[in-house]
Amino acid sequence: MNVLGMQTLFAKEVRRFMRVPGQTVLSPLISTTLYFIVFGYSISGRVQTVDGTPYLHFIVPGLVFLGIANNAFLNSSSSLFITKIQGTVVDLLVSPLGPGELMAGFIGGAMVRGLVVGGLTWAVAALFTGFSLEHAWVAAYFLLLSSYVFSVLGMLAAVWAEKFEQINFFPTFVMLPLTFLGGVFYSVRTLPSPWKEVSLFNPMVYMVEGLRYGMLGQSSFSPAVGGAILAGVAVVATVVTWMVLKSGYKMKA
Amino acid sequence: MSTTPALELQGLTKRYGNFTALHSMDLAIRPGEIFALLGPNGAGKTTMIGSVCGLVKKTSGTIRVFGKDLDQDSVGPRYEIGLVPQEINFDPFFSVAESLRIQLGYYGRPRDEARIDEVLTALNLQAKKDAMTRALSGGMKRRLLIAKALVHKPRLVFLDEPTAGVDVELRRDLWTYVRRLASEGTTIVLTTHYLEEAEELADRVGIINEGKLLMVEDKATLLRRFGERRVVVTFDHPQAALSEVGRRFAASLSADGRTLTYVEREGCAPSGELLRALYAEGQPIADVETRRSRMEDVLIEILRGRPQAA
Repeated sequence: MNVLGMQTLFAKEVRRFMRVPGQTVLSPLISTTLYFIVFGYSISGRVQTVDGTPYLHFIVPGLVFLGIANNAFLNSSSSLFITKIQGTVVDLLVSPLGPGELMAGFIGGAMVRGLVVGGLTWAVAALFTGFSLEHAWVAAYFLLLSSYVFSVLGMLAAVWAEKFEQINFFPTFVMLPLTFLGGVFYSVRTLPSPWKEVSLFNPMVYMVEGLRYGMLGQSSFSPAVGGAILAGVAVVATVVTWMVLKSGYKMKA
Repeated sequence: MSTTPALELQGLTKRYGNFTALHSMDLAIRPGEIFALLGPNGAGKTTMIGSVCGLVKKTSGTIRVFGKDLDQDSVGPRYEIGLVPQEINFDPFFSVAESLRIQLGYYGRPRDEARIDEVLTALNLQAKKDAMTRALSGGMKRRLLIAKALVHKPRLVFLDEPTAGVDVELRRDLWTYVRRLASEGTTIVLTTHYLEEAEELADRVGIINEGKLLMVEDKATLLRRFGERRVVVTFDHPQAALSEVGRRFAASLSADGRTLTYVEREGCAPSGELLRALYAEGQPIADVETRRSRMEDVLIEILRGRPQAA
């Protein structure tokens, strides 16, 4: 295994997004914080609590999840896609970096960005709501695994995409609706039928609820369900990505 | 020196749908040699290089790098390979030195500033060491590509049109550096449109067209076999007809009778013999001009399908 090669790619990925912190960290942090302020303060006037938790507190885990998922996905997808577009993918394909090393480098870098944005979002929210961490291991599990899953999915999207329009397809048409309809700003249990039942098919619901359990100690569903779904998605996405990279699909002529 | 070829291709074939880019190519490149692969655009040169370097998925055939089959181990042999791709690419987020440090890391080599300085100096890029890659001129970006391909000291280097868009001075510097690499045991596979470059550098030449390797030959043998020396003798006075010597050497006389042209190919009498015979015959020679074929002429001859002379 080319450990130094993998570390180099990882360090390069982290340095790459840190070279433009305004775009990669500050901008999403401001967006997520605005969600917190606008949604939190506008709705908390009418919805005082959700399942006994103050509304402002209730939305924090979802917003942290949103920051992690979006930024982990965007980092791996944009970095690998731009590498393809500007031709520097040649450096990666010629060098002795196998699928495992490529995944570790890109996913590691994307996880760091997702966790940095998620962590900063959490810190900003804590200024308004105070810090809450009820089940540290559960929270850590969901933080790490959700950043991993969306980094892998971002990599897959980058391999598949051939145009800028395609690389924007997943965040705009898949991730954004699923996260906004995934119980970030409301409890799925409070939805009327049939939306409640429809929402149960949205895997984001369980991921948000799992993190909510870890951070606030309350959840509409057992965190084990979210944990299992997240682990399942992680395994499938990892295997598929490894096989795709191994085959050279859309990477080699 | 090891007898295991640095690169060995057996039946290498690449098809894109109905189009065959490489037709069952067989080739063995010796360690430490400079091998020039020549052919027109679209001949299959870059496809061949891409197949070895992991950029192109071959359809069939075997590729061995220093005896290691890429089907058995697709990653390990790549530690030994460096590639200067045809298309310029650069990562705008990093400086020249950072790009080279990253490249070293990809190849599992620790940071080595002395090596980076050595390569940058050889390619006249030292002054730009800390410049961001996006600030480099086109020629400098090309040099950076070369530096990236060489910084990890590969034993097999592919130079795919390495001097396209590079000024004459740097081209000469690069040739010197390539010769030095080869003298140190590095195997170089070169494709170029500057046939002067192949003539200057190559030990052996492969000629490829429409995905088929037409010929592999020592450069000197190729030039001798397919090349020709054209000798033009100008007389003091016009000649009425081709002399006996002229007929014997199958030379041709110009319409005005002032110049005699002799084409010396392999197997023909040497042109010195013609000149001696003309002097002996008492011909009034005013001037003698000779021109030897260059690689460009040889390539054109072979691509036009001229049969082997010897």
